[in-house]
Amino acid sequence: MITWRRIGLKDYVFPDIKEYTKEYLKNINNIPVDVKLNKITECANNAENHKFDISEVPALGKEFTSFVESSYNSGISIYLPQNIKLKSPIRLEFNMDDKNPTVVDHNIIIAEPNSEVTIVIDYNSDNKTKTFHNGFTKVYAKEDSIVNIVKIQRINDHSYNFDSNIALVKERAIVNWISIELGSSISGSNYSSILQDMASESNLHSIYLGDGTRKMDLGYTMIHKGPKSLSTIETKGVLKDKSKKIFRGDLNFKRGARHSKGSEEEYVILLDPTVKSDSIPALLCDEDDVEGDHAVSAGKIDESKLFYLMSRGLSEKESKKLIVEASFKPIIEKIPYEDLQKVISHEVERRLING
Amino acid sequence: MERKKTQIDDVDRGIYDIKNEFTYKYKTDKGLTPEIIMEISREKNEPQWMTDFRLKSLEIYNSKPIPTWGVDLSELDMDNIITYIRPNSKMQHSWDDVPDDIKNTFELLGLPQAERESLAGVGAQYDSEVVYHNIRKELVDQGIVYTDMETALVKYEDIVKEYFMKLVPPSDHKFAALHGAVWSGGSFVYVPEGVDVDIPLQSYFRLNAPGAGQFEHTLIIVEKGARLHFIEGCSAPKYKVNNLHAGCVELFVKENASLRYSTIENWSKNMYNLNTKRAVVDKNGTIEWISGSFGSKVSMLYPMSILRGEGARSEFTGISFASTGQHLDTGTKVVHAAPYTTSTVNSKSISKDGGYAFYRGLLKVAPDAHHCKASISCESLMLDNKSKSDTLPIIQLGNDEIDVGHEAKIGRISDEAIFYLMSRGISEEEAKAMIVRGFVEPITKELPLEYAVELNNLINIELEGTIG
Amino acid sequence: MENKLLSINNLKVNIEDKEILKGLNLEINKGEIHIIMGPNGGGKSTLAYSLMGHPQYKIIDGEIVLEGKSINELTADKRAKNGIFLSFQYPEEIPGVTVEEFLRTAKTSVSGEVQKIMAFKKLLKEKMIQLEMKEEYAARYLNLGFSGGEKKKNEILQMSILEPKLAILDETDSGLDVDAIRIVADGVNKFIDESRAILVITHYNKLLEYIKPDYVHILIDGKIIKTGGIELAEEIDKNGYENIKAKFSN
Repeated sequence: MITWRRIGLKDYVFPDIKEYTKEYLKNINNIPVDVKLNKITECANNAENHKFDISEVPALGKEFTSFVESSYNSGISIYLPQNIKLKSPIRLEFNMDDKNPTVVDHNIIIAEPNSEVTIVIDYNSDNKTKTFHNGFTKVYAKEDSIVNIVKIQRINDHSYNFDSNIALVKERAIVNWISIELGSSISGSNYSSILQDMASESNLHSIYLGDGTRKMDLGYTMIHKGPKSLSTIETKGVLKDKSKKIFRGDLNFKRGARHSKGSEEEYVILLDPTVKSDSIPALLCDEDDVEGDHAVSAGKIDESKLFYLMSRGLSEKESKKLIVEASFKPIIEKIPYEDLQKVISHEVERRLING
Repeated sequence: MERKKTQIDDVDRGIYDIKNEFTYKYKTDKGLTPEIIMEISREKNEPQWMTDFRLKSLEIYNSKPIPTWGVDLSELDMDNIITYIRPNSKMQHSWDDVPDDIKNTFELLGLPQAERESLAGVGAQYDSEVVYHNIRKELVDQGIVYTDMETALVKYEDIVKEYFMKLVPPSDHKFAALHGAVWSGGSFVYVPEGVDVDIPLQSYFRLNAPGAGQFEHTLIIVEKGARLHFIEGCSAPKYKVNNLHAGCVELFVKENASLRYSTIENWSKNMYNLNTKRAVVDKNGTIEWISGSFGSKVSMLYPMSILRGEGARSEFTGISFASTGQHLDTGTKVVHAAPYTTSTVNSKSISKDGGYAFYRGLLKVAPDAHHCKASISCESLMLDNKSKSDTLPIIQLGNDEIDVGHEAKIGRISDEAIFYLMSRGISEEEAKAMIVRGFVEPITKELPLEYAVELNNLINIELEGTIG
Repeated sequence: MENKLLSINNLKVNIEDKEILKGLNLEINKGEIHIIMGPNGGGKSTLAYSLMGHPQYKIIDGEIVLEGKSINELTADKRAKNGIFLSFQYPEEIPGVTVEEFLRTAKTSVSGEVQKIMAFKKLLKEKMIQLEMKEEYAARYLNLGFSGGEKKKNEILQMSILEPKLAILDETDSGLDVDAIRIVADGVNKFIDESRAILVITHYNKLLEYIKPDYVHILIDGKIIKTGGIELAEEIDKNGYENIKAKFSN
């Protein structure tokens, strides 16, 4: 039983996990033969073959991650050999409905030196089923590799969503996280990167939208261990109705992370007096020769911008929508599929205009 | 290049380290029991309600666990702390009547001189009791009260009863409960409506006894439209055993009133400084905190401003300097409980030689506190990579009609800046000291000149250890 | 020769193991104005920083001799005391330290004489008027929020207060409008006399309309490849560096 007060979980018990029967791997064409891409349910012991220590990052907590490791019903294991750079992204889509109401995906991504891959995972559902998602994604980015992970969460408002993501980033490797958080009634999402070596880099760009009575807990951690390591956390959000959000961003500079740079920024627009917005941007530092900064800004939508747009004949809602979209746009544009960009824009629009 | 490289323990802290022989008129046994509490109360001839209050607080103290977050308090053994020590002197209104050894200590700390030159009133506490209290006659004539808490409890019992530990109730946390049980000494200030006190008052708290606790209570009431600047200084010589400071400061700022509360804390590095400070501000009132934390082994100090009246304002300017063996967990809490309230937080920390500076802050905006403005800025300077510096601001927003900004930066002194200053003939040590002084300048400029000088001296004492 | 101020002999300087100056020679006598020109990346700023003693610029070989004494081993503050001044291309911003406080400390240190507050204020004010700087800048934090032009003027102000023997001006003219260049040049011309010398590093000619150099040196790829008079600067203005470079390569 799990109690997580910040997002209103009390004595919570995970539901029974059913088999996920739909095809979720969307494009597997053009993948070189030496890339090993498997459904995790179809190949045993993938995780065992590539042990890498990510235990120092708690992600959403042992209850959530152990559950995924023991009860997964979906997910991929991908092994990229040295120097292989995949041109087109690997795309997964989970569409939950009454026949497939639970997704517990366990994803393991091993990128050998100088390889490159982009993985896009879209979690969605029908409008009415009470669904459950709990995922755990592990990335091991070896020397000079680049791994881009894009996650879109647009599950219906009756559902629970939990997602843990951890990357171990080696010398000069780059892990980029893009997170789009739009749905669920309760959502806990966590992204952590361990910047292990010289010039390891990780960037996280996320947007979130809170409407209705959604409760969101967003936790982002960058652990700088290697010298000259780099990290960015950029989060843009909007809250309306009675939604509640907790943002926690940790920039953690360990001793030895000389000449490292980390920056963290959260910008949230509050649209209604009934929202709740908590932010805890922590800066932890054991090393003096680093540059770390964080900034949070929160408040109403910029009145002068709003006035300007309305003076050109736009309604208040349309104007607000336009301002929010403008704020989200640079992050949405990082998604490598136009159809997904459109879907997200529509979803943002729907949630902003309705209600 | 000439280098002064010494352990911080060997740094000459000069006047702050002068120890007097430990003499006393009366002291309690070590530890805490209802008997000890009743003894303290009896010694002080207190009214029954205060004795009851103390005993109730002791119960709460015993029922609460030691906080396990933030800092390590495992070495603090309450059974080994002497909670009450009456010095060999009654409270005097003339320095001539204060015993020589005690008077000399305060002379060296510059208190009588500051009183002559720039203060409107002075209180001096030595161990558990106030040994000197004086206020200029013209202030008395305007109805201002400035006295020790014990006298206040006799002369202004009704007021004390109305306000005492109402803002920081003993149930707040373990050390507030401890304070409620064993409090002794401290200052009471009452500024009547419309009275503007343009020269500061100062209370100085000196803990001389080894293995002792100091639990002074400061209660300040600034009535409507009145204005006051209060300065608090504290220091102690260093001993091998742990000392404890668990004071309590309660500030009531009424409508249109304003209070500036400045602290330069320089406890010795065997001190656990677990102090609670809180202000409540009514309509259009202002509280300004100026806080300099240099001493103590462990500090947990988060002055709190509760803005409960429309248009109330708070401003916090803080500096903490953590060196060898120090863990300073400091910050500030602001609660916007009413509309149109504004707050500003400007915090700077320096850590060196293995010191640990932690900024912990809370900004809370209540659901109906619309049109609030809050800005927080935290800057940390690390002078080497043996030290540690963390920043943890918690921001809780309960409505949308607000404007909140937070910024934090962490880093070291830039080599380029040092080179630039050195290229103008300034030595490396002086260049670093200059940059550090510049870093804390926003705080020093808020202090009266003498105190700004003291603060700069403290920085120089701390820097002399290893910079170079 | 008693007139000799600075000799640089076969100077080789590395930054992070990369050789930037590759055996540079230069002689400067008192009373002279030298100009060093050259394309970007040729080593101009490296020369300036090396003369001032920046710890990241490592002297691998050669010697810098000031008035007969090697200064290779001296830290920047000691070099300043010996009379070297560098006007930075990008002056550092130091929050919390006022221009006046900083300069009084620096002057005390360089001259070895305590600067009395009132007398120093007067001196500072005079120099600021000469440079057409607003008096309020004395109380501003060092370079903080200064425009590019204000920073450069502030550098020249420091030079005229500290009265060095050798002033190195690293791209002091870049980013300045015509009026500011005139004021800066004026400051430089007031500063120069029989006991001092100036080394101007620039990559274009504007300042030369106001300052008359005795020598113009061309610094390319870590070495001075040509030395001449003002006509050399005019030639570069017309034809660029490529011609000269071509002549000297291989």
